[in-house]
Amino acid sequence: MNENTVTLAHGAGGTQTNELIDRVFKAHFANPLFTGDDAAVLPQPAGKIATSTDGFIVSPWKFPGGNIGKLSICGTVNDLSCMGARPLYLTCAFVIEEGFPLDALEEIAAAMEKTAKEAGVRIVAGDTKVAGKGQCDGVFINTTGIGEILPQANTSGTRAKPGDAVIVTGDVGRHGCTILIARNDFGIESDVDSDCAPLWGTVESLYRVTDEIHVIRDATRGGVGTVLYEIAGQSQVGITLNAASVPVDPRVRGVCGMLGLDPLYLACEGRLVIFAPQEHAEALVAALRAGKYSANAAIIGKVTEENAGKVIVETEIGTQTVLPQPKGELLPRIC
Amino acid sequence: MNKSMEAARDIITSYDGKPLRIMEVCGTHTHEIFRLGLRKLLPPQIELISGPGCPVCVTAVGFIDEACWLALEKQCIICTFGDLIRVPGTEMSLAGARAKGAEVKPVYSPLDAVELAKQNPERQVVFLAVGFETTTPSACLAAKQAKEAGLGNFSLLTANKTMPNAYQALVGAADAFLYPGHVNAITGNAVCRELCEKQGVSGVVAGFTASELMTALAVTIRLLGTGEPFFRNCYPRVVKDEGNPAAIRMMQEVMEPCDSEWRGLGMIPQSGMKLRAEYAGYDARIKFNMPVITGRPNPACRCGEVLQGKCKPSDCKVFGKVCTPLHPVGACMVSDEGACSAYYQYAD
Repeated sequence: MNENTVTLAHGAGGTQTNELIDRVFKAHFANPLFTGDDAAVLPQPAGKIATSTDGFIVSPWKFPGGNIGKLSICGTVNDLSCMGARPLYLTCAFVIEEGFPLDALEEIAAAMEKTAKEAGVRIVAGDTKVAGKGQCDGVFINTTGIGEILPQANTSGTRAKPGDAVIVTGDVGRHGCTILIARNDFGIESDVDSDCAPLWGTVESLYRVTDEIHVIRDATRGGVGTVLYEIAGQSQVGITLNAASVPVDPRVRGVCGMLGLDPLYLACEGRLVIFAPQEHAEALVAALRAGKYSANAAIIGKVTEENAGKVIVETEIGTQTVLPQPKGELLPRIC
Repeated sequence: MNKSMEAARDIITSYDGKPLRIMEVCGTHTHEIFRLGLRKLLPPQIELISGPGCPVCVTAVGFIDEACWLALEKQCIICTFGDLIRVPGTEMSLAGARAKGAEVKPVYSPLDAVELAKQNPERQVVFLAVGFETTTPSACLAAKQAKEAGLGNFSLLTANKTMPNAYQALVGAADAFLYPGHVNAITGNAVCRELCEKQGVSGVVAGFTASELMTALAVTIRLLGTGEPFFRNCYPRVVKDEGNPAAIRMMQEVMEPCDSEWRGLGMIPQSGMKLRAEYAGYDARIKFNMPVITGRPNPACRCGEVLQGKCKPSDCKVFGKVCTPLHPVGACMVSDEGACSAYYQYAD
């Protein structure tokens, strides 16, 4: 048995399972609510509760700007934050492939500890399973979160209204671009790094400006373009996007140019799309720009009554076109 | 909008002369024209036709069948530019072959396929060499590197195409061509200039930014008004008269002209490139003793007429109904640069 890798015995529930839990998980997740009992017992929050769950299977497990551990905390924390819910508790379940290095697992757990601390959330329950070699790819993580909704918060994908401004909290497509490069399928080198970040602080800063926030959504898979179509559909409104005002990192623009991809459809892991009445838009952007993860926030469009369900782009030559609907697999074009 | 773009816009929008048909030959131009909504600026007398300049769109059905045969019958790892994976063959696309267990990998460059062959000495790796003068030099370089390294497990399935004889097939399809800037950057301008001087075919070389495209279109409209045939290079930033001699030498060293089948245009003499005899060991058709495979396109699909500007995508019966970007029937619906895909995605 190799002492430096995860083995099937680590998942068998005996002494070695306890060793794994002690060495990796307890060492990083310790807090008074994380006990050895079958379920965590939690104090009741005063407000309404939000809950969300998400699975993470990113390959490679480590990438510039983060790893699957950081991602698994940010993903669920950000989903809660989008509902105006302060993240309080997380559970996490690991499925680990036999032979996965223990050092790597420790690195993942350390990233989770650091990110959870920053987000102000406590990991209160966990589970570990070991899958045979080839039955999963490295490590899969599921996290479930519980948050307390701010009393004044009332956001939903159905609440976008004509006259709302559309705000994005930073440059788009960084995470998706980083993973494409990290997979090294295309022989392209770039020092682009993921935008992966916990965004509760960003959401809190919005509510210090106004309670009138209609929609907050984190642009993950499918990117900002997909979010815009989701909201246009759910709220039955039109969205007009000003193409020139969408922030894109020059490195991302370069890679996308080579591969023929549109940054609007590449995943983000640290960006919110916000819909709020036009009169608050400038103040919201000013507040966001003072924040750690939203220095490049910008107003990128507006909500209209006409063109319900559609996203219209204002182009640099002064015409209007329909933003193409997001498609499935991203395939780089030929030339 | 800058001053030159405004001036170009004025020329385009204020045109009130006789009807004009202008063909953008290049798929990247087609995509940009749709993304910019450029057609919305055009007065009704000006028609922009999308030509056969998307390498995916002109790749014949039989080529996909050949690639599937190599993947399934010979268990080769197929490396390809991504767009090609969803192009329908007679029975299936490469995506369909992948679902049957074939190994199909999208790559950005043919050299990535050479690298993959080095890493997998026990497997045969075949790169699908499609494309015009813009991509052919890199396929040639891949064959050359493989030969120099003595790689026994790498080969090319070629369907490379060249533009000069395709222009001959298109003479008369439009009043003027917007020539593909990237192709001219390799080949130079002699062919286009000759078309103008000897056959009276008009055209301008166009770049790819909004400003470059608008300028090229405005120049075309202005010069068509004079009634004289013309050729202009409106992309001098990148296109030099002599082209790129190193890339041309590379192509001539490794490949030679051959007849080639274009989807929609049929067999065009000497419009393709194949590996020279010295590189026969890197030609997948020879190496795997491939039988003659003739593809049968879906008879309902009118991609061929679309590529020649004879009909609009929306004139095709399957367009937008059976044939969509998620379930393409014809190649023009697969690539983002295909006219059908652009028409579908940017439909108001």
